[in-house]
Amino acid sequence: MANDDAAVLRTEGLCKRFGGVVAAANIDFRLQRGEMRCVIGPNGAGKSTFFALLCGILQPDAGRIFLDGQDITPLPAFRRVRLGLGLTFQTNRAFHTLTVAENLETARRGAAQAQEDDAHFRAAYAAFSLAAMSHLPARELPHHQLQWLEICMALRPGPKILLLDEPTAGMSPGETMHTAEVLRALTRDGLAVVVVEHDVAFVRKVAESVTVLHQGAVFAEGSVEDVTARDDVRRIYLGRVRQNAA
Amino acid sequence: MRRGVPLPKRSMRLLNGPHDLGRGPVFWACMLLLAAGFLGYPVVASSFAATNVAFYLLNIPMALGLSVLWGYGGVLSFGQVAFFGIAGYTYGIVAGNLQDVAFGTPIATVAALLAAGLTAAAFGYFVFYGRVAAWIVPILTLVLALLLATFLGLTAGYEWRVGDVQLGGYNGMTGIPALQIGNLTFQDYAFFYLACGTVVLCYLGLRMWVNAHRGQVLMAIREDALRTELLGYDVRLEQLRAFVLSAVLAGVSGLLYVQWGNYITPSSLGLQQAALPVIWVAVGGRTSLLAVAIATFLLNQLTYVLSSSGNQYALVIVGGLLVAVMMFAPDGIVVGIARLRCWPALRWRRRADQPAVVPHGE
Repeated sequence: MANDDAAVLRTEGLCKRFGGVVAAANIDFRLQRGEMRCVIGPNGAGKSTFFALLCGILQPDAGRIFLDGQDITPLPAFRRVRLGLGLTFQTNRAFHTLTVAENLETARRGAAQAQEDDAHFRAAYAAFSLAAMSHLPARELPHHQLQWLEICMALRPGPKILLLDEPTAGMSPGETMHTAEVLRALTRDGLAVVVVEHDVAFVRKVAESVTVLHQGAVFAEGSVEDVTARDDVRRIYLGRVRQNAA
Repeated sequence: MRRGVPLPKRSMRLLNGPHDLGRGPVFWACMLLLAAGFLGYPVVASSFAATNVAFYLLNIPMALGLSVLWGYGGVLSFGQVAFFGIAGYTYGIVAGNLQDVAFGTPIATVAALLAAGLTAAAFGYFVFYGRVAAWIVPILTLVLALLLATFLGLTAGYEWRVGDVQLGGYNGMTGIPALQIGNLTFQDYAFFYLACGTVVLCYLGLRMWVNAHRGQVLMAIREDALRTELLGYDVRLEQLRAFVLSAVLAGVSGLLYVQWGNYITPSSLGLQQAALPVIWVAVGGRTSLLAVAIATFLLNQLTYVLSSSGNQYALVIVGGLLVAVMMFAPDGIVVGIARLRCWPALRWRRRADQPAVVPHGE
């Protein structure tokens, strides 16, 4: 705990149970500025619960969450967003009747208290080439551009951390790789990103570090190569150890 | 909206915004023509006829408020008449007690709107900050209206009075003084112009509101409340704000109503009346202010003409209309007609070459 000041997001002993099911068991998590972390794990590992606890949709039974050193555990979701948490959901949840520009304007003004630094937004907005459709209702955008719009909306108020829940679900391989490149560029600019992801190809492309969740607890943590090479990780993730895997 | 755009230009942009039927010069020319028609109507009409037309107009603010709350905000209130009644009764009590005071009736007007707004704020606080499920809100608001109606029905007798004014039980409060500013008393033609002016102001103001940031946030909540919260908005506060706005507008209608008839009875808050605003808004098309205004005018006229000619089935006909609309044009009749492709000036969707909002930083 020597360099806690460097951690932009930190959780201590985060617990959540639903009846008899332990969805989060004592999760300690640290994210540095400019770090790209992928949270992976098999179905039911607690990824969605962890995500919901971070953004404030769920309240933990025990444990604390710190954003930039500030305890945000008791804060409702919208206050966390105002303090610099940007996020997207697994499903497309841009506002379909509003135009792209209105969606972005809504996103900008929602968290107006966050630092007004839109450098990350500008970079992503340009890289995803959304300017050409700013006047279109969001419902007319194809699937992958809606997801890009959502990333831009999350970046609009200038968050310190970006939380993405399966940002490339349903994208083609080309679109997935483009998304990965844009996210990599953002982290090089100092943004901290947490991605909850299934797609191992995407994880290998973007992540420096990986947290593996299993039965609500942190099962493994480390660099992508180290973690994905571990037999026990392969066993829980793939259900078996492939003997021929190099 | 970018700062530094001059106010008149910004207002025009908001007025002409995409979140209502009708855009562009042809549409606004038609609206001006319509307004001119109303302004000139007293020249050809008796004061009785003008007062009747004012009666068809006076429910429009309440209906517009419900359109904002339900159509734009996704929160259905079945009890808008509660605020209509609160404003009407409060005006009667205050104006009745300030008969000899200068500006007594304007003070009563302000008091009535405050009473409607504060009641809505207190009631809405528990509903929205308590995170009551959306489908329960109509029931709670209806209960509020019915409770008030029942209570006011029990206030017969001399002991139920506030100052000089008796509440009057089922017979209601009578002899409510008309609004008076200086030597101008708003009766007959003056009342007609008061109703017209109020409706025009409410429509233009709300049209700007739904196209402005607050209105867009409300539509965002209607589409996806959780997503909106996770963009940093306090959904409870935004919904409460819309609820209070719609209650004040219902209060405006209640005020116009007591100007019109100089009386109010508990049946104005009853079950039958409570259903009517929902019908006007649904039949017109709840996602368009203009459609709601048109439908409210026409349906009030229909009901009034039918019932004053002795027809007992006015409400049955209006109710049947609601069922037919829900089955065959669920977006509303007026909205349905406007979306037919033969109306170039009333185009619903924005033209591709006219972005109305430029993203900040472009």
